[in-house]
Amino acid sequence: MNALRIQHRVVGALGMLAMLALHPAMAADLAGVQVLDGFKELADYVGSPFLLGGAWIAVKITLLAMSIGLVLGLGLALMRLSRFKALNSAAWGYIWFVRGTPQLLQLVFIFDALPLIGLRFDEITTAVIGFALNEAAFSAELFRAGILSVNRSQSTAAAALGMGPLLTLRRIILPQSMRAVIPGLANDTIGMLKLTSIASVIFVNELTFRSQQVVGQNFKFFTVFGAAAVIYLFLTSGISLVQVWLERLFDHERDRKIAFSWFGLRASTRDVKPVDAPVVVPVDVKEPDANDHAWIGTLLPAESRTPRHCDEPFVACRNVWKSYDKREILRGVDLSIAHGEVVVILGPSGSGKSTLLRLINHLEPLDWGTIKVDSQYVGYREIPGGGGTVRPLHNLARARAEARVGMVFQHFNLFSHLSALDNIVEAQRQVYAVPRAEAEALGRELLKSVGLAAHADFLPHRLSGGQQQRVAIARALAIKPKLMLFDEPTSALDPELVGEVLGVMRALADVGMTMIVVTHEIRFARDVADRVVFMDGGEVIEQGTPEQVIDNPTHERTRKFLNVVVN
Amino acid sequence: MFMSKTIRLLLCAVTGLLIAQGASAQSCEPSKVAQKYPSLAGKTIKIGVDPESPPYAFRDSKDFNKIIGADADMARAVFACAGVKTEFFTAGWSGLLPALGAEQIDVMWDLLYYTPERAKQTSFITYMQAGTGGLVAAGNPKKIDDISKLCGLTVTAGIGTVELTMAQAQAAKCKAENKPAVTIMPSADIASGARLVASHRADVIMYDLALVDGLAKQNPQLYTRGFMITSGMKIGVGVKKGNADVIAAVSDGLKIMQANQTQKKIFQQYDVDPSLEMPITLLTQ
Repeated sequence: MNALRIQHRVVGALGMLAMLALHPAMAADLAGVQVLDGFKELADYVGSPFLLGGAWIAVKITLLAMSIGLVLGLGLALMRLSRFKALNSAAWGYIWFVRGTPQLLQLVFIFDALPLIGLRFDEITTAVIGFALNEAAFSAELFRAGILSVNRSQSTAAAALGMGPLLTLRRIILPQSMRAVIPGLANDTIGMLKLTSIASVIFVNELTFRSQQVVGQNFKFFTVFGAAAVIYLFLTSGISLVQVWLERLFDHERDRKIAFSWFGLRASTRDVKPVDAPVVVPVDVKEPDANDHAWIGTLLPAESRTPRHCDEPFVACRNVWKSYDKREILRGVDLSIAHGEVVVILGPSGSGKSTLLRLINHLEPLDWGTIKVDSQYVGYREIPGGGGTVRPLHNLARARAEARVGMVFQHFNLFSHLSALDNIVEAQRQVYAVPRAEAEALGRELLKSVGLAAHADFLPHRLSGGQQQRVAIARALAIKPKLMLFDEPTSALDPELVGEVLGVMRALADVGMTMIVVTHEIRFARDVADRVVFMDGGEVIEQGTPEQVIDNPTHERTRKFLNVVVN
Repeated sequence: MFMSKTIRLLLCAVTGLLIAQGASAQSCEPSKVAQKYPSLAGKTIKIGVDPESPPYAFRDSKDFNKIIGADADMARAVFACAGVKTEFFTAGWSGLLPALGAEQIDVMWDLLYYTPERAKQTSFITYMQAGTGGLVAAGNPKKIDDISKLCGLTVTAGIGTVELTMAQAQAAKCKAENKPAVTIMPSADIASGARLVASHRADVIMYDLALVDGLAKQNPQLYTRGFMITSGMKIGVGVKKGNADVIAAVSDGLKIMQANQTQKKIFQQYDVDPSLEMPITLLTQ
């Protein structure tokens, strides 16, 4: 069926070409026999080793220049996205200059001017250099667009799992950006293949120039240029097919199996079952029963129970200040949390609750104050003789990984190109170097314990919000956290899905996980929390047991807030 | 009397010697390349041509990998005579002179007209004089029989060529005389310029006379020669200034080719008028 369709298309395209060729021929009053002879001659030229040799030169230059150009382009794109002004400006300057000057002049300059300073390249090398430098500038912008098209929440989630910036780029951002990048790269490749003809001025004897030479000798430009066009069309069709293939490979919305994994660039083939076939979603297991949750207890890493400084709280925030630009978000927050304690933070939006969570696992830097988890700074070291002031460490990702703080986000932030299981396996494999079999076994156990054993191979977009959030919890648990941070885990869920997520959280609390939960779920707070903290305007207003804070708030602001939320 | 006889004999001997020496300079000695042109021994000379310019340099219709033509064959003969290997490097005509300056090629041997401007960086060994032809549509419907008739017409000539300069000069003349302006369309190569005339986009293409005549002869239904100008321009081989051995090899070789009629034969073979041949001259400014 598909083959038939393609055949039709090919026949159609050929017919179109014949019509295009026939029209001027008829206009020129040529007899049918002459036209036929013309086509025969054209076919002969298509097979001419002289022209095909020229085509090979064009292909060779394109392949080499594209490969080098893409590597340079990715580097430039990263420089453009860097927060270091010097790198950014250097890349911007390069792109500005190379994009803004004619390529012909660049080629002549490399070929004819650089020898004056002792840099002499032959014609093919010159062409490869010239085209690669150009492609670097153009593809840098394509890569940058692709990287920017991936939601920032993806890199936030990766950072929370202890993945470093390069690892995140390689494993999370690039695979997702490829879909946006590939069509542009295919355009560039086709453009370059055809544009190699401008290098005839620096002695590159490629297809267009060769056909011009043949025309210069016999003046049969219809047949010779027609033959060149056919050869170009054949080559560019190849590029288009590669484009289609790559786009399928990186289409992370299809259900498929991993087909190809190279240096972190994972791609996959379509699953055997066609996309339009109904997906058999297994009937969701009812609320995971108690036994499953008990299993979670075995997960709690031995480390989290290691003897610690008994005089110190498990999480200690001291005089924490944070502002964005001029706006103060946190104004001297002090908060201590004991090991195994479940703390729910309540407060109106903008009160700094989420920011506080992001400071605890160092997703954002502190402005002032200190935070310790299990008596350790997360990614800070004390300045000697600085009176307790701290400075961020260089290798922040590693510090986050060592701190083992799990985080669950309001919008789940699952890696959208990875299946539920792979989401859970990713950080274990890449950050903690857990062997694949072991990581997958743990992943399946975790999925089972959150009631999603049958959904291991599903991509996030196939899961409901509640299911996605449960996978996200499982993902956070896979790194064996000592502390779990929940940032409004149920706010983005439909009401009927809230229960399944809270159920898992309740179970976690039951087995003694230390948890800080930012939520508006008053019932959950009342039932599960050991302590409720009310924040407003970047300060802790009051805290205490749920009965104290929720049922008998002492502060006016707390009362107002509770009135709004409860009703 | 006796004295004068002796002197006469001596003179004869000296003259004979000189003639003998001259004769030795007038023959090919490929084996003596190391003595005559030390820096060229074992070297392969890179000859720059644009193989889109029949009858001077173009692809052999029987074997496209071979470049033939009056200039190409002369170049081969001259360097074979010097005992140096050659390789043809092909580029668009306008890329040839810059490449010569950058020493990416050793000689440019392709319908290169001498001008004092070009001689600032390039030494010329001239071997023929040029004629310029104006190729017009068959039957010359616009009666273009002189360059002065170009006012109000469209002219094409190759980028960077002397003919383009001539067309521009004529355009300035038309303007100065308050006649209709000349439209100039520079063409990238001869074939595309000729197509402009065939498709009536241009009224005339100005190019080298031999080339114009060749085109008119091969395509009488399309073209005819409208006018010709014997400009007195000289055509030569371009060598980068200071490249003494190449200049000497080309100069010696060309002299031999003229003496033994090789140049004449090659010219005849490609329908170039042998009377255009000129004594070999080295022009450096």
